[in-house]
Amino acid sequence: MTDLIIETNEVSKTFGGLTAVNSVDLEIERGAIYAIIGPNGAGKTTLFNCISGFYTPEEGEILFHGNPIQGFTTDFISSQGISRTYQNIRLFHNLTAIENIMVGQHARLETAWWDAVFSTSRFKKENVKSKEDAFYWLDFVGLKGYGDYLASNLPYGMQRRLELARALASNPELILLDEPTAGMNPQETDEMMAFIRSIREKLEKSIILIEHDMRVVMGISDKISVLDYGRKIAEGSPKDIQANERVIEAYLGPGGAALAKKYQDRKRKNINA
Amino acid sequence: MKNRQNQNRDMLQKGVVFAIIIIFIMAIGFHEIAASLTSRIFNVDVRRGSIAEVRFMMVFFGLYAFLTGWSNSGEEGSPAKKILHGLIVSVIAGLIVVLFDLILLFLTRNEIDIRAYLTAFSIESMNYFLFNKNQFGLLYHFGFFTVFGFAGCALKVLLNSASAQNIKERISNFFKNTLNKINGAMPPFLPKYGKYILLLLVIAAAIILPRTWGSYINFVVGLVGLYVIAGIGLNIIVGLSGQLVLGYAAFFAMGAYSVALLNAPEPHNIMLGFWPSIIIAIFMAILAGLLLGIPLMGLRGDYLAIVTLGFGEIIRILLKSDLLVDLTGGPRGINDIHGPTLFGRPFSSDIDFVYIIFACIALTIFVYNRLQNSRTGRAWLSIKEDAIAAQATGVNLRRYKLLALCIGAAFAGLVGGISAARNQFTGPNDHSLLVSMNVLSLVIVGGVNSIPGIILGAFALKGLPEILREVQTYRQLAFGILLIVMMIMRPKGLWPASRPEYEQYEDSNASVKNPRREKK
Repeated sequence: MTDLIIETNEVSKTFGGLTAVNSVDLEIERGAIYAIIGPNGAGKTTLFNCISGFYTPEEGEILFHGNPIQGFTTDFISSQGISRTYQNIRLFHNLTAIENIMVGQHARLETAWWDAVFSTSRFKKENVKSKEDAFYWLDFVGLKGYGDYLASNLPYGMQRRLELARALASNPELILLDEPTAGMNPQETDEMMAFIRSIREKLEKSIILIEHDMRVVMGISDKISVLDYGRKIAEGSPKDIQANERVIEAYLGPGGAALAKKYQDRKRKNINA
Repeated sequence: MKNRQNQNRDMLQKGVVFAIIIIFIMAIGFHEIAASLTSRIFNVDVRRGSIAEVRFMMVFFGLYAFLTGWSNSGEEGSPAKKILHGLIVSVIAGLIVVLFDLILLFLTRNEIDIRAYLTAFSIESMNYFLFNKNQFGLLYHFGFFTVFGFAGCALKVLLNSASAQNIKERISNFFKNTLNKINGAMPPFLPKYGKYILLLLVIAAAIILPRTWGSYINFVVGLVGLYVIAGIGLNIIVGLSGQLVLGYAAFFAMGAYSVALLNAPEPHNIMLGFWPSIIIAIFMAILAGLLLGIPLMGLRGDYLAIVTLGFGEIIRILLKSDLLVDLTGGPRGINDIHGPTLFGRPFSSDIDFVYIIFACIALTIFVYNRLQNSRTGRAWLSIKEDAIAAQATGVNLRRYKLLALCIGAAFAGLVGGISAARNQFTGPNDHSLLVSMNVLSLVIVGGVNSIPGIILGAFALKGLPEILREVQTYRQLAFGILLIVMMIMRPKGLWPASRPEYEQYEDSNASVKNPRREKK
């Protein structure tokens, strides 16, 4: 049996009459980069929100290391080792970059408020350690020298990376990235791709990402799931997904799918000729 | 040609505006206050309730005319042209004021009393505006405007001229150089122990100074000090954890009534003594914080504000009602609360209370500073910034919000207990909504999350009104104007907070420098 870090069993989430996520099964192996794609409104972010505890799914269960985590609060799930970033950046804007990362360490630290008031040795030790760690993460995401900037004063690309640093600071096993390259130019996107790979290789974390940029999705992910109207319509390697007719139909509509097929046939002919 | 026309209209406009302002000042009787404030600036005693001598009115008027000239010197052209511009504006203002004076003269001559409609238009007040000089008063007014207006714009033009700029630069350079020299010549131990020496000096000043102040100043300083503690306590709730609590006075009430009921002959005659009861007061306030907090945790922003506002009022009305008369003394409050003792001796004079309050301020600031930059403080700040993201980052919202509420409430209980013992009285109306509002506004006016800001804010909000007591009638007016001006000029508070800097750059030649510091 493969080593699964997280699996969802027939997870469903409805809003009123709308079924945003409809009995979705995912199985994600440890150390994988797993991409979830789909047209707008397909339920990708809702699925993320179910995993990270913002929503409680009505049906199904979410197993993290085989333990169900659905229905717990987000802080508990975060302390179990799942952290995430957001589609629209949610940094703590009036804190400095380094403080943002230090908040990210919160679940990992132990000192209580009375330790701070009496400045116990435990507090001092932990303080030094947490500062060192925070600078390590700052360096890791390439923001060295920007630690004392207020988060709101950083440029957009840096904010994205800072959010990643905050997610990494809690030392999670699984990171959920919600459109990590949204709004980036091609060069920044390349950097982010290399960076996501390095998270997996250097830190040995598992990653689930939602992404619209197909170059990123096809470039870095090991396995892809496609959602449409809350249902999983396809799963497989980047190559399989590219050739999958249902996926093309979901993105381009039935007519579009036919057109795409024609185009592909012609291309193949040209190559053969 | 058109430009010139514009300029003329501009001058006329400004003259009229400045004239209207001074007329308005007279119409609301503010000139009397202004004169007595001027007399205070020159440190001459004025009897309470009486109008200051006429010469102070003259000084005030002169200053006003000077300001007129100063702010209206022309913006372009030769220096002579600029001065002319200011002079013309002043003369226009003077002429309009003279017209107004004629009306005043007419009223005083015929002894027409229109006080029923405009309270400031008493014969005395009008005469005072005319420097008690009757018809010569208007000549004075015109003369003042011309002379001081000219002086004002001439001085400004002079100071802005190139040679003056040069001189200014030289002077500031001189000061900078001497400062650097002094810093260089400083014995090397000073920077290292400087902090402790400063601390010692502050402690010495805090011990010695109250003995030199009179009892009135001690009273005011004590009041301000109590509000500083309350401000820091509320800042933990509002400024750090971002919960807008409007019923803060309810926690005062818990503290004050704990001390009062345990230390007054009526209604219970328990007489536990001040020190144990202040501890109980703090715990009662924490208990109130917990009881209020647990059902509140789901609320945010406006809803939280409204619920806590209701909570504050409920506590006050409960204390006032007949329901609890036997328990809390009802609307009459509790009298004759015994003060603290130290080693068997009474320790409850004005000076002693100032000491107690200073010690409590020191404790409060100590606790606040330790918390602010700890894991706890950062968790609070993150909740304030974005509660949902904070929780998803691992912060237990409920625990940290409750913790902030309880620590803030503890400080409020402390303040309530001390102030009850200090006034030897506490009643339901000591804990009204106005108190909560005052504490909240001093935090905002001073600067959220900034200790010096909160101290400044407490002085501005509680100290100034006490000092302005002399000009009783217009205290609130002057105070309101001050607040508006302050918030326009410094929207982030008198002394805004800044985030701590962690990054250290030992090597000054490092490739990356601290950008924030460089920008300055």
